[in-house]
Amino acid sequence: MTATTLAAAVAEGTVPGRVWMYANYHCNITCTYCLSESGPKVRRRELGADAMLKVARQAAELGFTDLGVTGGEIFLLPYMPELLAELSRQLPVVALTNATLFGRRLLARVAALAGRPVALQISLDRPDPDANDAMRAPENFAKVVAAIPKLVARGIRVRIATTVESIDDVELDRLCALHRDLGVPDADHVIRPIVARGRALDHGLGVHAELSDLPAELTVTADGAFWSPFGPTVHDGRLDTDLLITRTTCPLEVPARALLRLVQGRPTGADSALNIR
Amino acid sequence: MTSGPPDAEGMLIGDGQVPLLARPYYAEGDPGPIVAALAQVPELLEVALPFIGAALGPSAIDWRVKEIVIVRTSALAGCRYCVAAHTVVALDAGLGLLEVRALRAECDIARVFTDPRELALLAWVDAVAGGGPIEDAPRDRLRGYWAVHEVVELTVVIAATLMLNRFATALGLPSSTATLDRLAEAGLS
Repeated sequence: MTATTLAAAVAEGTVPGRVWMYANYHCNITCTYCLSESGPKVRRRELGADAMLKVARQAAELGFTDLGVTGGEIFLLPYMPELLAELSRQLPVVALTNATLFGRRLLARVAALAGRPVALQISLDRPDPDANDAMRAPENFAKVVAAIPKLVARGIRVRIATTVESIDDVELDRLCALHRDLGVPDADHVIRPIVARGRALDHGLGVHAELSDLPAELTVTADGAFWSPFGPTVHDGRLDTDLLITRTTCPLEVPARALLRLVQGRPTGADSALNIR
Repeated sequence: MTSGPPDAEGMLIGDGQVPLLARPYYAEGDPGPIVAALAQVPELLEVALPFIGAALGPSAIDWRVKEIVIVRTSALAGCRYCVAAHTVVALDAGLGLLEVRALRAECDIARVFTDPRELALLAWVDAVAGGGPIEDAPRDRLRGYWAVHEVVELTVVIAATLMLNRFATALGLPSSTATLDRLAEAGLS
């Protein structure tokens, strides 16, 4: 497979354009539905700044169009603000964060992302602190609603991700009113189901997702390359390998080629069915 | 089903955790511990299995001959897993109990094998699998009975077997219950 072949597959939508990277698996909070069983005491599984830059460069060369960075809480990694800026020199970036670490110093460092093609995607599940924090962490709601306007005011694009089992119309309306008040437009609010993997299994949460339910977004971790960012999940401390593509991640062409082969081998019409994005 | 540790300390990938590229190898059930271990690195499994299949599976070399090579090589390498697995295959390939015992170094090989062609082959296996430099004599003797392409293929069979011998031994791969039962039935446990 040449880069041209893959670029064509991305252009025609056969392969999604975004390459995800799991920067790390450790986190300062312990959400009930966390796919990666992240928390303060888990193995870090850190990908590393150099590896992430290589992935970004090679993704651009291969014709991918976007990057996603997730964890763990990515801003526990001290180099993250500058790394996001570097990554965005290659391709536009969406970076997932719980937004609980944005003190004055970190806000000053992420301010450099203003005007760059970087969006911070922040988790906010409910319009009420108690309901939100029950699934995430104490004071999570307060920290998030405090951080978002500060980021927006610094010219940083903020997206909000709402991950829920279900949400009624009234609650959703209140949540949308809240994110608009915080300066985040409707176009930057995504709602997605909890997926029954990782810690969600322990709490009986989430929908069962088949391969065909998950977009084939190439996802690079310290443990290998996976089909979709919902692939490299952890349960009982063990990495799930059912959506592993290859252990090789560099050159990126190795998993990219395998992913294309797998996508081309899927039955026609077997596209994402659960809106798991 | 395999005996020994349930999953060789997490080394073997079982149902529910099979990586995407490895799934075809599990389509007909438990693929055995070599595949289940290689599935940890799917991109290696994808290339290793076709090679192993081509080297050790049906080919221009007679099945009996291949199993002579594989059992003898595995015995010389001290691979418990491969000796057990291929003892069963060798019996299926038509080798006699005494022949298998001889290949497993449980009795004198020269008193059991008398065909000069097979004796030349066994001397070649001993030379290649024994390690270190290889003299011209066993190669010349082999070439007296076997075509060049057969010499090459038989040497690949020895080499591929040695690779699997070290792989299985190093990772402590467990023999299947079915294999152990067959060995017990044959009095070859």
